[in-house]
Formats: sequence, C-alpha cells, structure tokens
Amino acid sequence: MQIVIDIDHPEPLFAQLVQQIKQAVQTGRLSPGDPLPSIRQLANDLEMNSKTVAKAYRLLERDSVVQTKGYRGTFIHPDAKANSTIDLNAWVVNKLRETIAEFRESGVTDSEIRIAFGNVINERSN
Amino acid sequence: MLTSANILFGIVFLGQIFLISYYFPQKILARMDYVRTSFPKSQYPRLYPKPAEYYVVGRWAFKLATRIILALGFVILFSIIFLVDHATFADDGFISEAFPAAYGIIQFLPLMALEISEFSQYKLMRKAHVATTRTAELSRRGLFNFISPTLLGMALAMYFGAILLDLYAHQFELAWGHDTVQRTIVLTITNLLLAAVGAWILYGKKLSPHQTANDRIKHIKTSLHSFFYISMAMSVFWMTQAADDIYDLDFLDATIMSVYFQLIILLSIGHTLRNMRLEDIDFDLYKERPAT
Repeated sequence: MQIVIDIDHPEPLFAQLVQQIKQAVQTGRLSPGDPLPSIRQLANDLEMNSKTVAKAYRLLERDSVVQTKGYRGTFIHPDAKANSTIDLNAWVVNKLRETIAEFRESGVTDSEIRIAFGNVINERSN
Repeated sequence: MLTSANILFGIVFLGQIFLISYYFPQKILARMDYVRTSFPKSQYPRLYPKPAEYYVVGRWAFKLATRIILALGFVILFSIIFLVDHATFADDGFISEAFPAAYGIIQFLPLMALEISEFSQYKLMRKAHVATTRTAELSRRGLFNFISPTLLGMALAMYFGAILLDLYAHQFELAWGHDTVQRTIVLTITNLLLAAVGAWILYGKKLSPHQTANDRIKHIKTSLHSFFYISMAMSVFWMTQAADDIYDLDFLDATIMSVYFQLIILLSIGHTLRNMRLEDIDFDLYKERPAT
C-alpha cells in the first residue's frame, strides 16, 4: 500500500504518517504481523528527516499500533485494529478543555493558566 | 610471433574488443534512439532535463569514443601478436595480462562516462520536481525480497573458496605483502564496495523522482542480481589465479584476464540490458502535467 505525505499541509509530517498508518490498519490494508519499512527506508522514500519517521513510529508504538522486535524491525501489533481507534490527541484536547473551563469558572485568568501550564510542563521535563 | 597460446589469446581478445567496444555500445545507442524517437522531448519533457542538443552531442561523443577505442583494440591486437617481443617485455616470456587489463579499463571509460551523465540527469530531474506531495510504499524492502538466500550463500561460499584456494596454493603462508594477502584484500574491498552500492540502491533515495514502485522494484532486483553475479565472477577469477600458481599456467594469464573483462561486461551491462526492457518501463510519468 502507498502512503502520501503533503509537505504543505498544516498537520505535521509525523502526524500525517501516524494517521495514515492507523487508517490503513482500520481499513484492513495493513494486518497484524505485517512488517513496516525501516525508519531509514521510509525517510529516504519520503525525502524527510529520519527523526520525523522515528517520532511517528515511537507514537505508534506507544499506542500499541506497531511493535518493534529488535533487529527484525517494526511490525503491526496483534491488537492494532482496536488500538487504532483510540485517538490520544483528541482525548488530551478534551481533558484540557474541561480543565480550562473549570479554571475559568473559578475566576482564574487565561494568563495565569498559561503561566501555570508552562511551569507544570517545565517541572515535568526538568 | 604465432604460437598456439598467442592464437588463442588473439581469438579471445578479439571477443573482448568486439563485445565491449562494439556490441554493447551498439545496443546502448539503439536504446538511446528508441527513447528519443518513441518518447520525444515535445511530449515527454520531464525525461529531458537538459536542452535537446545536449543529447545529440552526448550520443555522438559516446559513439565516437567507442569507435576510436574499437580501432585502438585492433592496433593493440596486431602489436601484441606481431610486434611486441614478449621475451623481453614480460618476465615469463608470455603475453602480459597488463595488455587486456589496461585496454579493458580504457574500454570501460565511455560506459562510465555515460553512467555519470545518467546520475547528473537524475539529479536535475529531482531538482526540477517540485511536487508538494510525496509517496512511498509501506512495505519493507529486504535483501531476500530481491535475491534468494541460495544466491547469497553461493556468493559467500565462492568468496571464501577463492581465499582458501589461494591459501592452499601458497601453502597457507600469510605474510604482509604476500600475493594471498593482497588478493584477499582486493577481493574483500571490491565485495564491500558492491555491498555498499547494493545497500544504497536497496534503501536509498530513488534516482528518478518519477519512477513507479514497480519500475523501482525491477531496477533493484536487476542491480542486486548483477552485483551478486559480478562478485561470483570475481571469486572465479581469483580461483583461476590460484590455479595458475598451482599448475604453472602463465601462458594463459592474458587470455584469462580478457575472459574476465568479457564476463564482467556480460554480468553488468549485459544483464541490465536484458532485464530492464524499455518496453516494460512506464514512460507516461515523464509527460508534462501540472505540479501537485
């Protein structure tokens, strides 16, 4: 099956990759156990940075859509079809929307929310 | 001087002259003409990143170079048979393998120039290709998708066989600067070079931005098979060198070298021309169309 990446699309390249692989799993074009191209091969074929492909594969692995079997490469996860329907991005957006609404109801200003959000994110990354 | 060894060399060397400087160049020229007449620049502009005159001059230069080298071959053959005093020219008194080897390298020059020119064409095609969408096949390209494990096994067995036979021929004597060590290094480096180019073809960026997935698969398969055959031919050549030392076949050195060059062209360009048929390539992709 073929993957198409639009470099002018507002959606980041790694997100396009993730989405298209999930779609391929959902529509049955990719089945559990199917091998995926190596990061280097896909990066060369799509003329993109290998770090971008690696990021997409990492996210797919986190979502249990693909699994890496050491030197043998990356394969479609046995439960990929069920896991492809879960959209973590949408879940994060919904959660944040609920939380921010709650803050606003309590009288917290947007500026305070932004500063607090930045501090918490920085705490985690530090 | 006409001896049976010289006559045998003359016949084989004639084959080298004809095969590398006439037969295959003619085939290549016929392909150039077929592409230019069947897929003209007016209808297939993306196939010609340079002005039309460039291809006319290129074809003329290639033909001229191969014809000059062809004529040079006959001069060399005549000189080797009738003029050169082999008793003073070579230590063993037989025709030196340097003649077919040096001439073989000269014969390959126009073909190498053509290959370099092809790479520069592809580079220009990639530069001119401004599509915002990029496509890739979501299937893994592994070595064994293109060649059989048996072929790999055979190439490896012949590589080690050639080294072992050489060691046997020289009583397993291993010293720096010794023939066996030199041959092993040359054979290993050449095989590593083939492996590196093979890996680049297998996993690297595609040369033509317009090439279809099927055409690419065909190209990879043909190239990898060709590399494995060349590797095996090199091993056979080194085996003959070891056999030469065991059985004292110095009088055949030049003939074997000439056969080796013919084998290399048959397995490289010959194999590619036979398997990459122009009729099977999708040229419609080189027609003008709006950028996406």
